[in-house]
Amino acid sequence: MDRASIVHDNFLRRVSAGDLPDGELPSGPLSSEAAVSIFRSSCLSRSLDRKSRDMQAAGQGFYTIGSSGHEGMAAVAAALRPTDMAFLHYRDAAFQIERAAQVPGQSILWDMLLSFACSAEDPISGGRHKVLGSKQLNIPPQTSTIASHLPKAVGAAYSLGLARRHSPEHKVLANDAIIMCSFGDASANHSTAQGAFNTAQWTAYQSAPLPLLFVCEDNGIGISTKTPKGWIAATFSNRAELKYFAADGLDMYDAYRVAREAADYVRLRRKPAFLHLRTIRLYGHAGADIPTTYMKREEVEAEEANDPLLHSVRLLSDAGILTPAEALSIYEETFARVERVAIEAVKRPRLKTASDVMSSIIPPPRVCARSNGPTPQARSLAFGGDLRAMEQPQIMSRLINWALTDLMLAHDEIVLMGEDVGRKGGVYGVTQKLSARFGAARVIDTILDEQSILGLGVGLAHNGFVPIPEIQFLAYLHNAEDQLRGEAATLPFFSNGQFTNPMVVRVAGLGYQKGFGGHFHNDNSVAVLRDIPGLIVACPSNGADAAMMLRECARLAREEQRLVVFLEPIALYPMRDLHETGDSGWMMHYPDPSERIPFGKVGVHGDGDDLAIVTFGNGAYLSRQAQKRLAGSGIKARVVDIRWLSPIPADALLEAISGCRNILVVDETRRTGGIAEALMALFAERTKTSTARLTAEDSFIATGPAYAATMPSADDIVRMAANLFTGVS
Amino acid sequence: MKTAVVVCPGRGTYNKTELGYISKFFPNAPLLESFEAVRRKANQTTLGELDGAERFSIASHTRGDNASALIYAATIGDFSSIDRERIEIVAVTGNSMGWYSALACAGALTPEDGFGVANTMGALMQESLIGGQLVYPFVDDDWRPQPDRRAALLALVDSIGARADHDLHLSIDLGGMLVLAGNQAGLAAFDQAVEPLQQRFPMRLANHAAFHTPLMAPVAAKGRARLPATLFNQPELPLVDGRGAIWWPIGADAEALWSYTLDAQVTQTYDFTLAITVAAREFAPDLFIITGPGATLGGAVAQSLILAGWRGMRSKEDFRAQQESRPLLASMGMPEQRNGVVVH
Repeated sequence: MDRASIVHDNFLRRVSAGDLPDGELPSGPLSSEAAVSIFRSSCLSRSLDRKSRDMQAAGQGFYTIGSSGHEGMAAVAAALRPTDMAFLHYRDAAFQIERAAQVPGQSILWDMLLSFACSAEDPISGGRHKVLGSKQLNIPPQTSTIASHLPKAVGAAYSLGLARRHSPEHKVLANDAIIMCSFGDASANHSTAQGAFNTAQWTAYQSAPLPLLFVCEDNGIGISTKTPKGWIAATFSNRAELKYFAADGLDMYDAYRVAREAADYVRLRRKPAFLHLRTIRLYGHAGADIPTTYMKREEVEAEEANDPLLHSVRLLSDAGILTPAEALSIYEETFARVERVAIEAVKRPRLKTASDVMSSIIPPPRVCARSNGPTPQARSLAFGGDLRAMEQPQIMSRLINWALTDLMLAHDEIVLMGEDVGRKGGVYGVTQKLSARFGAARVIDTILDEQSILGLGVGLAHNGFVPIPEIQFLAYLHNAEDQLRGEAATLPFFSNGQFTNPMVVRVAGLGYQKGFGGHFHNDNSVAVLRDIPGLIVACPSNGADAAMMLRECARLAREEQRLVVFLEPIALYPMRDLHETGDSGWMMHYPDPSERIPFGKVGVHGDGDDLAIVTFGNGAYLSRQAQKRLAGSGIKARVVDIRWLSPIPADALLEAISGCRNILVVDETRRTGGIAEALMALFAERTKTSTARLTAEDSFIATGPAYAATMPSADDIVRMAANLFTGVS
Repeated sequence: MKTAVVVCPGRGTYNKTELGYISKFFPNAPLLESFEAVRRKANQTTLGELDGAERFSIASHTRGDNASALIYAATIGDFSSIDRERIEIVAVTGNSMGWYSALACAGALTPEDGFGVANTMGALMQESLIGGQLVYPFVDDDWRPQPDRRAALLALVDSIGARADHDLHLSIDLGGMLVLAGNQAGLAAFDQAVEPLQQRFPMRLANHAAFHTPLMAPVAAKGRARLPATLFNQPELPLVDGRGAIWWPIGADAEALWSYTLDAQVTQTYDFTLAITVAAREFAPDLFIITGPGATLGGAVAQSLILAGWRGMRSKEDFRAQQESRPLLASMGMPEQRNGVVVH
């Protein structure tokens, strides 16, 4: 017999016989109505766990990771408010069920069954995935991730204090809300989790408000690896600025009392707290996991003997609220109800086609208040002497700075965050003066941790802000990219477009800094960003484009709720000249704030039809140099700046190269996994034009004189282009 | 054993054809007499006189103080006639004043106290008679969901309600129909703005006030003053209210139930469609039994189930097919269907 059936039979037998486990007497503030509600939610959660396994066996359901043993989370839900956004552990069905009981009009049983069945009518994911989540219950969708939701919970908690000062137009959370975030004892060890705890502590240590309740559901084991006895208490009970609470999740009275104390502490003090909730894990990790293959049977049975539902029956009986017979009747009625409803739920339609599945990768647009932009006086006050400087051409870093200033003037909900973006104004000065112009609340100097920076952005976006986080160097994105790949980009997908986290992530990157920094300051690989569905990657090659593209990126985030990476070529930040010293050929006038470059529009310089050089970023700069030299050799070339690295603007590119006899792709990213691969495939599939590519080598970047040796140069471009005409390869 | 959700009808369901319904079907003479005692004590016309009248009188039978009592009594009589040996009642809900009946059916009020609540609230409504109600459908004859049309009508309601001296609100979400309520100016503006349909709609409801709107706040306050929370008990059956919230046996907070019943329930939109949707999705009964009087609520229940896509239904035709293959609705006001659910 499987463990789920054994636990079920044990419950029926022991309750009927009055054979209930020992424990404390019920005490504390839990009302009798709430206690019965928690018990009902627990029974429903348990029943759904069993049903999910039956459904899977019948080919009707597709998810079996259960919440059995974690029913104490229903008491935590009862101690919170439905307006407290909850980022949940995947074992928290009981939490969501109990929260549903607090909000009229919910059909939680039906909804959960639809999600097991992967029905297209599942109200949270639209049948894409089994997730816990609900827009109405303030539960963003969460599935089998390990601790990756903690950084954004920290961000969402930080947003609460910020929203009191700058209330965003699309604000989601109530002023008195707190954030709750739960996870298992095994996940608590994950570096992502540890980073989030640390960031929360670091923030609170400076007395910044951070009303966040971490809930660690300690069942003592992660799949087959046991958590050392006492480890969670030992490592969390004495951390700076993270108040520790411990409760027994098998005892709804204790769990409610302590959760209430912890929630009150967080709400009142606006500080983070850590609720350590003892739970047990029944039935193993998931449907296919047989715990007796790695645990002694006696150990498994000892856990089962402590079934929290049995404890609840004892407590309700001791409190004089329900007799064991009445409790048993609720349990059995609940199971019968689940059976009846499941018969209907499994018949509901499922997704079929790729377009069905993909329809929520891109979130829906939202209506934003129209604005005429800042007044001349406001601009004058903000820009000061820079207004006069606008009359002259300027370098790219300055134009990006001004574009950020205008965007922040126009839209109060834009907030910047990153390492050194505030007081210092960025390591390359791109964010200079912004802190003085807009205050430290909107230009946030963050902790040195990219996961926390992106988590802050994602969390702020959950509360209606339009964050512009900065990653100081592209190479530093890699330790944190899951915050984009696994979290931010998937949010609309898993919520059928109901939850969104629009933002523009500024990343300084790419190579060609003369002799500075080596690989980690000149990383030239963007492959990690290009295959993320729904993510837009923009990369300007000059200051004017940068300003106009950044405005478009902010619009895409603000109005279309898109997730955008704005990749700024560091080597071009200070670039002044194009062909020769003093020609100022790469300095541009600041475009009027009304001007944008639409998403997907490519740049074309020249109209030569011998050759189209298709490129971006530093490649566009070098290609412009080569273009002039090629003209001297009688080769008429045009330079096509693709600007948008993902998705590739295919149709616009085909139009831009139309009529050219040859195409040369110049790509400063690596030969393997670089942009050129996509461009070569595009031209091979959709044109008959002779095409060649010049890319960076599959190498890391060197420091010193060979800093650019592995990447395309203007000489390389000229040589390769000439070869196309002489037939030399 | 079949499972059933019982649906208690609201105002407007005791009409000409229902004369004599109580005397014919009410199974418990002492209980009926206890209702009559209340009526006599309050110098109200007795149910026996009203139900036994030779002719139906709009002026008399549809008055709040009479209609509420008649409908409540007929409902309670029907509920207690259901054959509980064959039918397991898994939840109870109601429409509008049917909520008072539902409370009694579920055991949250004794039948006598339920009568007191229905009778008192009916009388208070009649005394104040603030504003009025009208009905307008947003589905066509085939009952297919038309969310855009519904949204457009609700936008119209909002725009009229925003005008000076105009009050107009969504009173009841009633399947494929919107019941609107407001002051005369608001109702008249809606009459003017929409296309007349089926030579009946927009249909004003005689002797109805602006139920389930903020205009009812004084009535709700009087109700709370006259009807103490101590009347309310834990329900014995799950109850689904006009917000789609479920009140569970034992776990319900009786004071909260009193507060909802005599405040939000009176002054905010009654979402009958959602109540039926939640009842279907959370209880999946074999049958929805609509008690008498009358059988007019059946359409709204069916439309609500179609809007919810219950059992895959998308239209009136689907509903008819469903009724033939695996009947989903039993209206006790229709003799044939009544026979299927009552004790013989």
